[in-house]
Amino acid sequence: MRVVLAVIRREYLQRVRSKWFIFGTVAGPLFMIAIIAVPIVLGLRDDVEERGLLILDRTGILYERVASRLGGALVVERIEAGESAESTLEGRIQSGDISGLLVLDAGTLSAGRAVYRGLETPSAIRRILIQQAVVESALEVRLLDASDADGARALLDGGQVEYQSFLGENSDRDDPAAALATGFAGGFLLYMTLLIYGIQVMRAVLEEKTTRIVEIVISVVRPGQLMLGKILGVGAVGLTQLGIWALSVVLLLTFGLPYVVAARPELLGLEAAMEFVPRAAELALFLLFFVLGYFLYSSLYAAVAAMCSSDEEAQQTQMPVTILLVVPMMILMPIMENPDGPWGTWLSLVPFFSPVLMFPRYMAGAPLWQVGLSLVLMVVAIVVVAWVAGRIYRVGILMQGKRPTLPEIVRWVREA
Amino acid sequence: MNHSSSSRISASGPAVLLDGVTKQFGAHIAVSNLVLDIPRGSIYGLLGPNGSGKTTTLRMIMGILRPDRGSVTLLGEDTNGTARQRVGYLPEERGVYKRMKVIEHLEFLGEIRGMTRAIARQRAMIWLERLGLPEWAAKKVEDLSKGMQQKVQFIGTVLHDPELLILDEPFSGLDPINQDVLEEIVRDFHKRGTTIVFSTHLMDQAERLCESVCLISRAEKVLDGNLLEIKRQERSGAVALDYDGDDGWLDASEVEAVERTDSGVRVRLRDGADAQILLQRAMSAGVEIRRFEIVEPTLHEVFVRHVGEAAAAEAGLPSGYQAMGGAV
Repeated sequence: MRVVLAVIRREYLQRVRSKWFIFGTVAGPLFMIAIIAVPIVLGLRDDVEERGLLILDRTGILYERVASRLGGALVVERIEAGESAESTLEGRIQSGDISGLLVLDAGTLSAGRAVYRGLETPSAIRRILIQQAVVESALEVRLLDASDADGARALLDGGQVEYQSFLGENSDRDDPAAALATGFAGGFLLYMTLLIYGIQVMRAVLEEKTTRIVEIVISVVRPGQLMLGKILGVGAVGLTQLGIWALSVVLLLTFGLPYVVAARPELLGLEAAMEFVPRAAELALFLLFFVLGYFLYSSLYAAVAAMCSSDEEAQQTQMPVTILLVVPMMILMPIMENPDGPWGTWLSLVPFFSPVLMFPRYMAGAPLWQVGLSLVLMVVAIVVVAWVAGRIYRVGILMQGKRPTLPEIVRWVREA
Repeated sequence: MNHSSSSRISASGPAVLLDGVTKQFGAHIAVSNLVLDIPRGSIYGLLGPNGSGKTTTLRMIMGILRPDRGSVTLLGEDTNGTARQRVGYLPEERGVYKRMKVIEHLEFLGEIRGMTRAIARQRAMIWLERLGLPEWAAKKVEDLSKGMQQKVQFIGTVLHDPELLILDEPFSGLDPINQDVLEEIVRDFHKRGTTIVFSTHLMDQAERLCESVCLISRAEKVLDGNLLEIKRQERSGAVALDYDGDDGWLDASEVEAVERTDSGVRVRLRDGADAQILLQRAMSAGVEIRRFEIVEPTLHEVFVRHVGEAAAAEAGLPSGYQAMGGAV
C-alpha cells in the first residue's frame, strides 16, 4: 500500500507542480471572470458616457410604457412633435449630444414598426432591448383595449406553466431552460475532462515505457499496483483542478452574479441567474460521473499506451477510445431534443456513453432509476475493463517495437 | 542500514534458486528447463550470446515475468513477497524519470523499496557526494549529461543497501570512467557480503569479475559452477614456454603441436601427456626457461568447446579471442 502511495504521490506532485497545470487551472477561472467581468466593464463604460435616447411618440400613449421598460438601462427623454426641427436633432446626434432618436407612430401600434435614427447602429443587446420594449408596449396597449389589465401583464411577463410529474421531481429547479443549460455544460465538461485526463494517463504510462524506467519500478511494484497508482495519481490531479474550478464558479456566481445583475438589469433577473448555479446534489452527481467515467477511460488509455512504443503510435491507437468519448458528445444535441425517448434512454445506459449523456438527461429530469442503473452498469464495466486493461498493461509495458495485432492482444489477455 | 546487513550474515541457503524454469513467448522458447543455484556472497556471471535468454532469466528472478513452468526462489522467498525490495535491480535498458529532480527521483526509488523518504534522501545525498554529484541533487535529471544520468541510475540501484544486486549487461553503453565506477561499486558491495549477479556477453569481463558463472546458449544451460574449477576441468593440455636456447627438446612424444609466439612457444600436448615431463625435458636440454605456464582456456574457449563454433559466431564474439586457434 505504501508503494502505491509513493506512486500516487510522485504522479500527483510532478503534475500539479508543472507549469501547464498551474496555467490551465488558473486560466479557467480567469476565463470565467472575464466572461462575467467584461459585460460589467462595458456596461460601466457605457454608463459613464451615457447619452440620452430621444423618443418622439406620435401615438401619444406609448411613451410611458416604452420608457419604463427601457428606463433601467437607458436614459430616455421625451420630445414632442414639432418641438425641435429635424435638422437640429440631426445636428445633436452628429455632435454626440444624444445617442439617437426613436420614432413611434401608428405603425408601431398596429405592427410594431418603429424607426431609430442615430450615428451608428446600437449594440445587439440594445437592439433586442429596444425592440422588446417597443413590441411589448404595443401589445400591452392593444390587450388593455380588449380585456383585463392584470391578465395581459401576466401574459406579457412570460406566463407560468407548472409541471407536475407522477414519477416525482428529481430537482428543485423552476426553470427548465437553466437546468438544461447546466446539463449541457456539465456533459461537455465531463467530455473535456475525461478526454484530457484519459490522455494524461496515456502519456504517463507511455513516458514510463519509452524511458524504460518502468522495468525498474515493476521489479518492486506489481504492474497492477503501478497502473492503479498512476490512474489514482492523475485522477487526483483532475479532481484538484475540477475542485478549484467548481469552487471558482460557485464563488463567482454567488458573489459575482449579483454585481452583473445590478450593473445590467436588462440582461437577467437575479433569480433567473441563480438558476444557473449548480446545486450540491448536481455537483455530487457530476463528480460521481467524472470519477466512474475516469476509471473506465483511464484504464482504456493505459492499455493503449502499454501497446505502443512511441507518441506517434499512441496517437493513432487511441483513436477508437477517443471515438467512444466523441460519439456521445456528437449525439448529445439530438438526444436532448427528446431526452427520455428510446434512443436517449438506451444510449445513455451504455457505460461508455453514460457520463456525457446521462448527466444532461438527469438535469432534464430523467427518471432516477435510470440514473442509478447507469451508475451500476458503469461500475460493472469498470471491473471488466480494468481486468482486461490490466492484463494488456502487464504484458505490454515490457514490449518494445512492433505494435501488437489484435490476436496478439487477445493472447496477452489470456496468458498474462 | 543495519537490518539488511544483519540478515545478510544470518541468512542461509542460496541467494537465488531456479528449479526447472521454462519461459516461452508464443512459439519462441526463451528459457528452457533452467536450474540455477546462486550461492550467497558470490559474484555470479550469467553468460551467453545475445538472445540466449539472459534477460528473460533475470526478469523471472525479479518476478517481472512469471515462468511458465518451474519455480524461482529469491532470498529464500517467492517473488511475490517483499524479497524484491531487498534486491538492487539494474535492467539492461536503464531508464530515468527525466523531468524529476535528481533527489526526488532517488527518493522515489528508495520509497518503492520500503525506505522512508527522509532516509532515502539522506542516503541519496551520501551517494551523490561519493560519486561527485552533490550539486546536481536539485537539478532535473534531463539536465544531466548521459554519464551523470548513469551514475544516478547506479545510485538508484544500490540506495537501499540491497542484499542482492542483479545487473543486466551493466557495463554496456558505459563510458570507461563509469565502467570503473560501477566495477568499484560492485567490488565494494561484494566485500560487504552482497551477492552480485550480472549478465554479460563479454567473456573477458566475466573472467575478470566472476567467481561463478553459468553459460547459456539458445535458452539452455551449457555449464555452470565455480570459474576456477571450470577452467581446471576444461584445461586443454596446452603449455606456454618462454625460453632461450635451442628447440631440439620440442621433438618429444608428448608434443602434438607447436606454435611460435613472440616470446616463445605454445605447445599442445597429446591426450594424457604430463606437462611436468615436458618441463623436465626442457630443463635437461639446458635451455633457459623464463616462463612456464599451464594454459587454462579462456571462458570463450570453454564456451566454444561446448556450444560449437557456429553458436559462438552467432554470439558475435570476435575471432581474435581464439588465442588457442585450432584447439577445438
